[in-house]
Amino acid sequence: MLRGLSLDSLMPYFGVVLLIIGGSFFFPQVLSADYLTQQLQIAAFLGFLATGATVVILLGHIDLSVPWILTGAAILSTALVGTGNPFLSAIAVPAALVFGALIGIVNGIGVAILRIPSMVWTLAVNSMLLGLAVLNTGGFNPKGEASALMKTMASGDILGLPVSFLIWIALCIVLAWFLTRTPFGRYLRSIGFNEKATFLSGVSTPSVVFAAFAIAGMCSALGGVMLAGYANQAYQSMGDPFLLPTIAAVVIGGTSILGGRGGLFGTIGGALFITLLTSILSVMQIEDAWRNIIFGTIILVMLLFQTLRKGDTA
Amino acid sequence: MVAQMSDMKNPLLEMRGISKHFGATKALDGVDFVCNPGEVHAVLGENGAGKSTLMKLIAGVLQPTHGQICIDGKAVFLNSPKAALSHGLVCMFQELSLVPDLTVRENLLLGAPGAGIGWLRSEALAKAQDVLARIEGKSIKMGARVADLTLPQRQQVEIAKAMMKRPRLLILDEATSALGASVVERVFDLVREERDNGTAILFISHRFHEVEALADRISVFRNGQRVETFMTGDHDYTEIINMMVGQKIEELFPAKTPAQPDAEIVLDVQNYSWDGRLRDINLRVRRGQIVGLGGLDGQGQSMFLMGLFGLLRQAEGTTAIAGQPTRIGSPKQAKQQAIALAYIPEDRKTEGLILDQGIQENLELAAIGRADLDATDPALYAASLEQLALKHGGLDQPVASLSGGNQQKVVLAKWLALKPRCLLLADPTRGIDVKTKTQIYAILRQLADQGTAIVLLSTDYEELIQLCDETHVFFDGQVVASLADGDLTAENIIAASLNLDAKSRAAHA
Repeated sequence: MLRGLSLDSLMPYFGVVLLIIGGSFFFPQVLSADYLTQQLQIAAFLGFLATGATVVILLGHIDLSVPWILTGAAILSTALVGTGNPFLSAIAVPAALVFGALIGIVNGIGVAILRIPSMVWTLAVNSMLLGLAVLNTGGFNPKGEASALMKTMASGDILGLPVSFLIWIALCIVLAWFLTRTPFGRYLRSIGFNEKATFLSGVSTPSVVFAAFAIAGMCSALGGVMLAGYANQAYQSMGDPFLLPTIAAVVIGGTSILGGRGGLFGTIGGALFITLLTSILSVMQIEDAWRNIIFGTIILVMLLFQTLRKGDTA
Repeated sequence: MVAQMSDMKNPLLEMRGISKHFGATKALDGVDFVCNPGEVHAVLGENGAGKSTLMKLIAGVLQPTHGQICIDGKAVFLNSPKAALSHGLVCMFQELSLVPDLTVRENLLLGAPGAGIGWLRSEALAKAQDVLARIEGKSIKMGARVADLTLPQRQQVEIAKAMMKRPRLLILDEATSALGASVVERVFDLVREERDNGTAILFISHRFHEVEALADRISVFRNGQRVETFMTGDHDYTEIINMMVGQKIEELFPAKTPAQPDAEIVLDVQNYSWDGRLRDINLRVRRGQIVGLGGLDGQGQSMFLMGLFGLLRQAEGTTAIAGQPTRIGSPKQAKQQAIALAYIPEDRKTEGLILDQGIQENLELAAIGRADLDATDPALYAASLEQLALKHGGLDQPVASLSGGNQQKVVLAKWLALKPRCLLLADPTRGIDVKTKTQIYAILRQLADQGTAIVLLSTDYEELIQLCDETHVFFDGQVVASLADGDLTAENIIAASLNLDAKSRAAHA
């Protein structure tokens, strides 16, 4: 387990500490418990997506269908609750998760069986989901509302800590166990490094790919359910702003975009860092254009640092 | 030390007091080395003796920690491959340097003289095409993607690529390791011609008969130092081996144990055909038998081996494992206890190992999928690791940092942990040093004596003769000869490989 604590995966945590200290000079309220717990709550939304993305990126692939799995899951769950039928309301969250897993398996089929590059296939799936959502709602904002469960998951708190954050961390612990202690986790990394050698070692690589994309789909769907609970509604394109921050969180957390190397511990830090950075930049009331430039620059600097450090040791 | 030929003018290449340290490891330690124009100079040594480091220094890939390199008597600083190239030093490395996704033409033009930014000069290609034609590479199409070529074809392209740079000093580092005997002969003719035109050639090969056939002088390296330099013929094989290893190796190959003619048939393949490329192949391997697959490269023997491991879809024919008719559809199925096949692939770096992971993780990868084994149990691997004398600095060490021979040991140990009843090996000693080869031969013999059935594909017919009870020679997707006992000779293997006199030979077998 200690191997997970590489310097790369600790980097975003140093970044978080620096942001908090730096931000507190301008705005002392950054240090308040209210502000920090709110950040944890918001970070969890990005966190679910990044957790799923980590699994796929460890495999050496990428999932670009995150935005519309998220949106689809949100629309589906709020629509089910919106019917008013108690049974349909009760299955809203599981239905959204099943939806995410199914789309994940569709992604897996394209990548593992049809051998289409994941970057292309998942982008196409994302686009098809967008089309389906528009067909379904006629282009208007979907009707529906969030259930009490969804609202609690998104906005409740236990012992002062946001429920969303606790669910996220619990999910990460379970997945981290899977990644480090089960054959599935071993295969996942091995495929990320060298799919051919893994297959020749007698591993059914397609089933690993299916499972990884299904997990990622469920994580994205869970993120969608949470966001719908937070906003008490679903809306078109609610997932679009999340795609790049999701991938950025994974990579800043020290997971190699080429696959094989990395882990969830770093991703947690990455999601916290990006959430905090976004928040502090907006609190500072910097205009949008500059905010984007600074956001991009800081991410580049962090990645540059990682690359340079690797160059030293290699 | 033999006195260098002092009557010569300046040697083409002179290295004085060269040391190269990687951290605490001394890859080279105070080496003096001279190479004259118009000679083929073979460099021998075990893996880790410093040969590759020496070549990399000459090719400008690495820079020496201490010492001086002189070209034509003038000290030079080779800080990049480009600088080395400008002095006419060209290296063809053992690790293939072609870009898989580019075509043969594009690869040849990369780094061709005058390429750089500007127009690509296709007249430079004429030389390469000429070279390819001479080494039986005419069938290689300029527009073919390198990824679609076979390993031997890629080596032929590598040779053409090196030749077209018109080297003054050409380094051939295991340049012919994947090539069949007749192509090797063509390459040697070409090398001799270059030598007669005044080119210096540094030649590294683990195939001793090749060194003997080609080299004018031989330098032996051991533990980062040059042990001795002498003219070819001054020392015999055993003496040279002793120099390389630093200890006596009585025999390279273990004594053959006669196989029981009525032992249980472990693997029985009848009428195996695939996609028109493999036709009606029959193979029967008994307990304790080592059966060889020979032939020129690309005659279907590697395909067939892959097919046995479940890698070819829609193959025809029947397979029986220990008498049980079986269909093997995937490597996962093939490794289960009921079948218990193991396959050591041809290219250990891309097919056999995960280079970024540690030894332990690589060892466990095959055993994890077997419900009846505990992959984390070190006892599973301990015996074979000890027997193979794997040198390592802890089982966490990434396999990328091991030498080729040690990497192959990891691949072997990983599969031996599954206690396979039948072991399929695709050229397991390609590019591996003598000592490791001996260890691999010994372990194969021992496995056979313990009852494992072994199928050994080899491009080195010494192995087919010395190790195998029976050898099937492939030609154009078919077995053209099955040689055993007294018929198992180099002449017969070569004749069968070229499909000469096939009928009378088949009658023999």
